[in-house]
Amino acid sequence: MSPFQASRNTARDLLRPEVLASLKNLDLVARSVVEGVMIGMHRSPKFGFSQEFAEYRSYNEGDDPRFIDWNVFARTEKTYIKRFLGDTNSHLMILLDASASMGFGGPPVSKLRYAQFLSASLAFLAARQHDAVGCMVFDEEVRDYRDPSTRSGKLQGVLHCIDSATASTGTKFDKPFSKFREQVSRRGLVAVISDFYCDIEELLAGVRPLAWHGQDVVLFQVLDKEELNPEFKSNVLLEDLETGEAIEVAPQFMRDAYPQRIRAHIDELKKAAAGIGADHVLVNTSDSLDQALRNYLLFRQRRK
Amino acid sequence: MGLLAPLFLLGVFAVALPIWLHRLQAQSSDRKAFSSAMLLETAKQQVHVKKELKYLLLLAARILLLVLMVFAFAKPFLTVPPNAIISTASGTHLVLVDTSVSMDRAGVFSQVQAEASRAIDGAPADALIQLLSADSSMRLVTALTNDKSTSRSALGSLSASALRLDYGEVMSAVERLADSLPPPVTLHFVSDFQASAMPVRFSDVVPAGIAGFEPHVVGTGEPFNWSVDFLRDNSDGIDVGLSGFGDRERIANVDLLLNNVVVDSRGLSQTGPHVLHFDAPDYEEGENRVVLRINTDDDLRADNNRYHVVDNDPPATIPLLTLNADSLPVTYLSAALESAGDYRVEPMIIGEFDPRVLSRYRWVVIDEIGFIDQQLEQALTEFLENGGNLLAFAGDRAASLESLPVTGHRQSATSVRPQAGDFLSIGQMDVRHPVLSGTEGWQSVNVSRSLSLDVPDGDEVLIRLENNEPFLIEKRVGQGRILLMPASLDNRWNDLPVRPVFVSFIIESARYLSGVNQIPKTYIAGATLPLALTGNSSGQVVDPDGNSVLSLADTTREQQIRLNKPGFYEVYTPQGETVVAANVDPLESDLRKVSQEVLDRWQDATGGQPLAGAGSFNAEEAETVELWHWVLFLLALVVIAESILGNMHLTPRRMERA
Repeated sequence: MSPFQASRNTARDLLRPEVLASLKNLDLVARSVVEGVMIGMHRSPKFGFSQEFAEYRSYNEGDDPRFIDWNVFARTEKTYIKRFLGDTNSHLMILLDASASMGFGGPPVSKLRYAQFLSASLAFLAARQHDAVGCMVFDEEVRDYRDPSTRSGKLQGVLHCIDSATASTGTKFDKPFSKFREQVSRRGLVAVISDFYCDIEELLAGVRPLAWHGQDVVLFQVLDKEELNPEFKSNVLLEDLETGEAIEVAPQFMRDAYPQRIRAHIDELKKAAAGIGADHVLVNTSDSLDQALRNYLLFRQRRK
Repeated sequence: MGLLAPLFLLGVFAVALPIWLHRLQAQSSDRKAFSSAMLLETAKQQVHVKKELKYLLLLAARILLLVLMVFAFAKPFLTVPPNAIISTASGTHLVLVDTSVSMDRAGVFSQVQAEASRAIDGAPADALIQLLSADSSMRLVTALTNDKSTSRSALGSLSASALRLDYGEVMSAVERLADSLPPPVTLHFVSDFQASAMPVRFSDVVPAGIAGFEPHVVGTGEPFNWSVDFLRDNSDGIDVGLSGFGDRERIANVDLLLNNVVVDSRGLSQTGPHVLHFDAPDYEEGENRVVLRINTDDDLRADNNRYHVVDNDPPATIPLLTLNADSLPVTYLSAALESAGDYRVEPMIIGEFDPRVLSRYRWVVIDEIGFIDQQLEQALTEFLENGGNLLAFAGDRAASLESLPVTGHRQSATSVRPQAGDFLSIGQMDVRHPVLSGTEGWQSVNVSRSLSLDVPDGDEVLIRLENNEPFLIEKRVGQGRILLMPASLDNRWNDLPVRPVFVSFIIESARYLSGVNQIPKTYIAGATLPLALTGNSSGQVVDPDGNSVLSLADTTREQQIRLNKPGFYEVYTPQGETVVAANVDPLESDLRKVSQEVLDRWQDATGGQPLAGAGSFNAEEAETVELWHWVLFLLALVVIAESILGNMHLTPRRMERA
């Protein structure tokens, strides 16, 4: 095994949820995840959602002279501004669902904790590319909100906002998303991180206006392996974390019918997301976090 | 329903244990949290609901088991009226027969049986009949029945007693009984209807709940009776008050008997009140039985004897230890003790007193405890430990000592009033104590000086001054006790000896320390004689017929002896032997009847009155049925049920674990 391979494996190991769970500092978690992702991506300078070259255009008064391409000026003696794709997606808003159902899962990490890692990693990744990052923690209401900003000190505020989220009450998308639309008018990337245990139409009612406003919406659906493939040997009384409703279920149902139902729900969500031009990424909390990020970024790259 | 040991009900709090365990079990059951139930479907076979129901049933069985166990220990019982019989259309006919002493007239009781039989026969065929008798209390002679022959035959068992009947009390008992009987209730009262048996308030003879009242008057005709109103003995002799009822002038002869021997006789020429004086007979030493006997052929013989006890015990000698037999304290104490006539004070000079004679006495008095020397202190301590008692006072000599001899009380300071004319009054008193319960007038006592003593735990302060210093202390030494007044009886320390309360205080102290149980010598028949428990024995009583009233087992318990017969009762107690006399109530001797007008009013007023409230059956013959064995049987069933349920509940869990 080469030294390079060894160091890569060590970095990958660090990204497993159970290892990340032992890191109390979310900033450190985010750095670890992003560095790990970058190692996996060979640190491609062209990779990212705000550094991709788009076009040249003539310099106009009022443009930032820092973006003049002096090489072109040397050849043509004309001033051109170099534009990147990131100029149209230059801020990231993370909408983190902190409802009670997100408290499910583990060990080693609950869905919410995993979603916090993911949110922090996204925030760090964006900040690393000088994009403005904001976040909103919600359940039935907006519980915390940070405006998008590129200032370095703001990232710590966003990470703190993400880190302080705790699972409670139910989930509603219409009211928090309505308030979010009132706060953010600038177009950018909106990452909604939730388990999406809701009526799809209700979800679309909240998300669709964002897409109409030109926001690039990504739905991260975070699910635990116990939700995807539950295993019970006998009848069990399952209590809904949000409603308190208790339902006695048979092991045959959980083994046969339930995986089909959850798969159908995921597919329906994926289809609905595609219908409004949003992306859907399914995240299993038992997978390492870099894999989730990498899958997403590759997906973005294909999309471009 | 009642409980014989209701304190055991506190054990019901033990049901908290299974409830708590159930909660623990419920919390640790296989109920699991899940993110969302929106994609779940209820199982067709509700295993958990059944399991939960089974467990709730098991919990209920366990709670029931504990409750039944507690209930069994509380010993429940039911009070069942012996006559709880179904109602009939004709209701209930109560036949109440007066069996008081006034019915003991010649020929009257045959009239009673005839009248009662007539009342029984006159009742409708389907009516329920109950025969009752009454003197100082009401008794159920027969159970409630519609068999008339049973009631008639029970009449033969009735006879007159020596007790008094009060119509108000018996009608109150009838009212309580009628509350539990099938209505309508008709009362037949067979009596001589004495005017002296009527209560003060006429309304007391009108029972509620009685639909009909039929008086059956017996003993008609002009009554003739002699009776003794009072008999008093004094130093001059014996005074007797007699009354003759009836217009007929008949000669009567009165004998005075002393210890069953006729010592004097008098003749009475006509009826009416008389007061006779007999010279004091030659009493024998001790208790003398005096009987005043009227020899006459009057209607009521039961009241012709009056029994009385004259106590001719010589006064008990009380040694009074002093330094000066002519001192004021000796004078005061002697005068007070000898005023009762039961005691004779013998002053003894402390220096000349031979301690060996202490064993002759039950108690001694010392007017100045400070003069006790070491030899006398040792003798007195031994005397007290062996059951002797001491009444002690403290004077100037005691005030100079650091601690008092015999009692050992230490002085904290000597309380001397700073100015002349400045006195302390009595502050607190334990009026329940036998020495103080019969005394009055302590508030007028002024105390100018007393010893301030430290009272150790175990000593009892009976009187405190208003500054909270003790003024009378009781201390137990061995089997004996000391009554200590930390003050002198000369006129300089206080004015107690010249106050009226002093005599009663000294007399009560003497009775208390002598250990003599003072019981009255004369009673009305039907009264109760209390026998207090002393040690392991209360005593024994022999009635006028020579029969022991108490069984051997009863003599070891505190008793209330009812004196139902006129005559002399011999009372044997641990304190000694005494004789008491019981006499017929003089009110029964007046055979004059209530007027016909009163009888008519009584009859009119009784009947058709609704019951004031839902009373309860309280007859003496009510049957008490203990239920604890039924509760235990039920408990055994619940134990079996709990075992089965527990096994059913645990089986699926074992299977799950497997």
